[in-house]
Amino acid sequence: MLSITGLGVTYGGLHALTGVTLEVGAGEFVTLVGPNGAGKTTLLKAISGTVAASEGRVAYQGRDVARLRASERAALGIAHVPEGRRVFPTLTVRENLELGSYRRAARRRRTESLATVLELFPILRERERQLAGSLSGGEQQMLALGRGLMAQPELLLLDEPSQGLGPRIVEQIFETIDRIRRERRLTILLVEQRVVEALELCDRGYVLETGRVVLDGGREGSTFTSSASRIREASRCGRACWRASHRPCRDCSARSSGGWPIASGAR
Amino acid sequence: MVVAELAQYVATGLLVGGVYALMSIGLALIFGVMRVVNFAQGDFMMLGMYLTYFYALAGVDPLLGALLTIPPFFVLGWIVHRGLLARVTGGGDPQRQMDAQLILTLGLSLVITNATTMILTPTPRGIRTAYATQAFTVGPILLNEARSYAFAMALVLAAALWLFLTRTDAGRALRAAADDPEAASYQGIDVRAMHGLAFGAGIALVAAAGGLLATYYPIEPSVAVNFIVLMFVAVVLGGLGSIPGAFVGGLVIGLVQSLTLLALPFQLQNTGVFIVFLLVLYLRPQGLFGRRARTV
Ligand SMILES: Nc1ncnc2c1ncn2[C@@H]1O[C@H](COP(=O)(O)OP(=O)(O)OP(=O)(O)O)[C@@H](O)[C@H]1O
Ligand SMILES: [Mg+2]
Repeated sequence: MLSITGLGVTYGGLHALTGVTLEVGAGEFVTLVGPNGAGKTTLLKAISGTVAASEGRVAYQGRDVARLRASERAALGIAHVPEGRRVFPTLTVRENLELGSYRRAARRRRTESLATVLELFPILRERERQLAGSLSGGEQQMLALGRGLMAQPELLLLDEPSQGLGPRIVEQIFETIDRIRRERRLTILLVEQRVVEALELCDRGYVLETGRVVLDGGREGSTFTSSASRIREASRCGRACWRASHRPCRDCSARSSGGWPIASGAR
Repeated sequence: MVVAELAQYVATGLLVGGVYALMSIGLALIFGVMRVVNFAQGDFMMLGMYLTYFYALAGVDPLLGALLTIPPFFVLGWIVHRGLLARVTGGGDPQRQMDAQLILTLGLSLVITNATTMILTPTPRGIRTAYATQAFTVGPILLNEARSYAFAMALVLAAALWLFLTRTDAGRALRAAADDPEAASYQGIDVRAMHGLAFGAGIALVAAAGGLLATYYPIEPSVAVNFIVLMFVAVVLGGLGSIPGAFVGGLVIGLVQSLTLLALPFQLQNTGVFIVFLLVLYLRPQGLFGRRARTV
């Protein structure tokens, strides 16, 4: 479905991604984790086309998408639910959702998709006529996710859907993602700071650190549990000891339970 | 008697304001979607006046002529966007882009004014219609026929724009591209095409407003300067980039211009406009319809 090889991205000479190789098979749920500034958002943007790759190749459904603009990639069925929700604040909830199915292939099934999304997020039905900018953070995240689903995507890119939300909403969001995925056999690439929750849901994972893949859950472990536990093991303190080959550092061995220090921390 | 006189000034002001409103929503549309301040807007209006004039020479009624300016000016706007503006919008260093846009639209304005002066001479022209000198009588108030028709057409065109923006997929996509171009592109919206659409439509609207204006206002190459400032004031009054705001802003300017005449001579007609402008900026800096700076 998605195949990235040797991808590099620079921001005015600064390397944000170097030699990233990553694979997401059809129907797979892959998680990408890593600390702040690792380049996770940059990677998703390079896939959906809002930042240009300086080297390497991004292939979607076997086709090199380098020459396609973001809107053309979206038309092919890549739905990007961006970091920070990015709903259209001066449009109503309903209009936001309808724009989700702007691409031609989804427009025909708009009524049907709308019914499904409103069933997944009943709160959005209540808020249908309200301006999206006036929604709460959690509601906006549901709207952003709903808007992404309206595209009837083949590949769903989710950038930190839990960011800034309370535990109840986070749980609801993750449950919905899990449900959609099982019902629709969607292919998902999820970026998350909440490693524990994300790994419970996904099939495989990658760890990104300062622009490089430092742990590839796909190749190292063939089964879900082994790669998940390896990443979890590797990510206790969010430092270099994530690397699969490293021994846990003092902080990591001192903490009995795993988890992701950044997830519960500052943000 | 005083009431009747006042009503007459209000009515006259609103009629003129309708055409100002139509001019201003074109500018607001362009600014709202592209964040480009188009200094050449008045010059496109002037070109719309001339096209309507030539239509009239060929026997087309100027009210119809004004409508017929829309297709060619839409195409012209699209081409100007694709050929010139697209090079200095979207991506790149924002400050340098702003400078480039400023110079580009100012330059365009100069080129259009001077080319028109060279080709068509500075001689003012007018369109003669039967209705320009007639008036409807509503109680004690006289409504000039040409201005009434122009007002009605301006309302119809503004309403058409509003329906387009709120009821069609393309219109919603345009508003989405104005709100958040990056997120819009994730929905499959071609933001560059939306800019072309906004610029084309913005130019077409101001050209049509020019055509309507030409039914009662002399046509000359330098006519833009009399109106560009009014358009800017209307757009700022309404809240930058807000289309309903610019519409109301245009009406307010017509009204204020007209009421100023109660106290000041004709040459000082715009004094009142600037006083109201400064008052609004002082009391409500985000404009009548503007939102406060968005909190992220
Ligand atoms: N538009 C930009 N211009 C310049 N540098 C950028 C830009 N966007 C990101 N960067 C830099 O690229 C690096 C990767 O950023 P990115 O947003 O991809 O990280 P991230 O992994 O998504 O982080 P977070 O978890 O905080 O969202 C950072 O060092 C960031 O400062
Ligand atoms: Mg990020």
